[in-house]
Amino acid sequence: MRSKKWLFSIVGFLIVAVFLFPIYWMVISSLKPMSEIFGESTLFPKNVTFEAYRNIFIGSDLAIFRHFFNSLIISFGTMIGTICLAAPAAYAIARKNLKGITLFLLFILITQMFPSNMLALPLYTMFAKIGLLNSYLGVIIANMTLSLPFVILIMRTHFLTLPKALEEAAIIDGCSRWGAFLRIILPLARSGILTCAAFSFLLAWGEFLYSLTMLSDNSKWPITLAMRQFVGQFGTNWGELMALSAVSTLPIIIIFIFTQRHIISGIADGSTK
Amino acid sequence: MEKFGNAKQLNRNKFKDYTFLLPSALFLLAFLVYPILYNILLSFKDINIGNLIQGEQPFVGIENYITVLKDPLFGKALVNSLIFTVATIIFSTSIGFALALLFNKSFPGHKWMRSILLIAWMTPIIIIGTVFSWMLSGENGIINEFLLQSGFISQPVYWLTNPNSALISIIIANIWISIPFSMVILLSGLQGLPSGIYEAAKIDGANKIKQFYYITLPLMKPTILVLLMLGVIFTFKVFDLIYIMTGGGPADSTQVIPFLAYQLSFSMYRFGEGAALSNISFFLIGMIAILYLYLIRKEEVM
Repeated sequence: MRSKKWLFSIVGFLIVAVFLFPIYWMVISSLKPMSEIFGESTLFPKNVTFEAYRNIFIGSDLAIFRHFFNSLIISFGTMIGTICLAAPAAYAIARKNLKGITLFLLFILITQMFPSNMLALPLYTMFAKIGLLNSYLGVIIANMTLSLPFVILIMRTHFLTLPKALEEAAIIDGCSRWGAFLRIILPLARSGILTCAAFSFLLAWGEFLYSLTMLSDNSKWPITLAMRQFVGQFGTNWGELMALSAVSTLPIIIIFIFTQRHIISGIADGSTK
Repeated sequence: MEKFGNAKQLNRNKFKDYTFLLPSALFLLAFLVYPILYNILLSFKDINIGNLIQGEQPFVGIENYITVLKDPLFGKALVNSLIFTVATIIFSTSIGFALALLFNKSFPGHKWMRSILLIAWMTPIIIIGTVFSWMLSGENGIINEFLLQSGFISQPVYWLTNPNSALISIIIANIWISIPFSMVILLSGLQGLPSGIYEAAKIDGANKIKQFYYITLPLMKPTILVLLMLGVIFTFKVFDLIYIMTGGGPADSTQVIPFLAYQLSFSMYRFGEGAALSNISFFLIGMIAILYLYLIRKEEVM
């Protein structure tokens, strides 16, 4: 029986290795010298070099740090905005003592399905009129239309697991509903909120369409949008492109390592419950 | 709390409770509902680069819809979108199911293995598209090298610039992205199954295959249905992958509805038609969404 379990481990490991090959290949290609990229492909680099990284960071006039900074602003902005709006709403839905709350829940479920390309044009026109084009805020708002419905759903399942007794006690002791929510519920829901924060951050980090349509000023471009330009500029300098891809994936991997357990249950609960 | 306050206070408290919903509700009304209604309005008008922001926007009725539907590119994009969506869902769901069954067993390392797979789903699509473009490259791409060395092909294939292979290549990349998501959803379904029933089946002499067909599949039906609906919704709107890998080409062989809608609005500046096409695609997704809600409600009753 024990040996059978190890057999499963080996099969599982092989599957993971094959499946994640593209990620491996991205990293390995970024560490190969040009001659190896265009020579015979080898699974392991013969000579490891950081030439490609040096090229993208100092050797070119691409303002990589600028684009990283833009990505960070947009992602943090989306994250904070989403959490601030989603937490009270998800709490109200979870407690279910309001009229029409099921309708609101249905509405949230439906909004999750709107294709983002359907919003791109009307948001572009709206933002042009109120001067939000070419601004971080415009992209942040657009990103929030994607993250807010989903985060409300994930948070709702999280609030459902918190006992009502504590907040009821606080209210009897003279706390207002908001007071009980801010002082009792939010601290208890910390892990759920962190998951949702990570989720909205990741979503904004990878977002492309809204930045593409709304930001014509390239000093505001996030890294995803800059990638597009790099593809044109570096042509088939795959080493540099892979180095850039690896660098842009790094923040995601870091966040993922810290939150993976919660994110998995979050995705599953938010989508099916 | 209700027990302690009098009726008046209760009403006031109720009113206060709505302030929890208000911020989200207002936000979604302003930036989601209003834009969608506005988009419907735009689709009935003749709008170009000159009158998008200000100026006269003549009302043209359903002309934009007729132009879009008559465009041969629409038919092509619709067929491609259907192939893209159906192929992605079939493969990602079945592969995801197999992985979920495997990682549902407890063996050393099963937990970190199944979570590390999710990296594929969380990496920005623009980056995955770039990595796959490199792997599928006609010159020195690893996939060609592998196929050449193992004798499957004798000439390098230019996967993304050949109209016959471009769509398949993009589908493969998208299946790769979707597998972890399918796996996670199915895994959460599997974990909710009662274990006693399998014990009983074992005693009755049902083998593993029979257990899968007669117990696992029927019990997993609600999860599978939800996953299929989500899959359609997520896959039908894929835009970034096409943008970065092929840009709809070569010869429109990877043109899909969301990409065409983007092009109509933002590279051809035929905004009215772009709005019309995104409404059409919304209508298609909406039908699926209604089905999804119906299924979810049924599941909740169970």
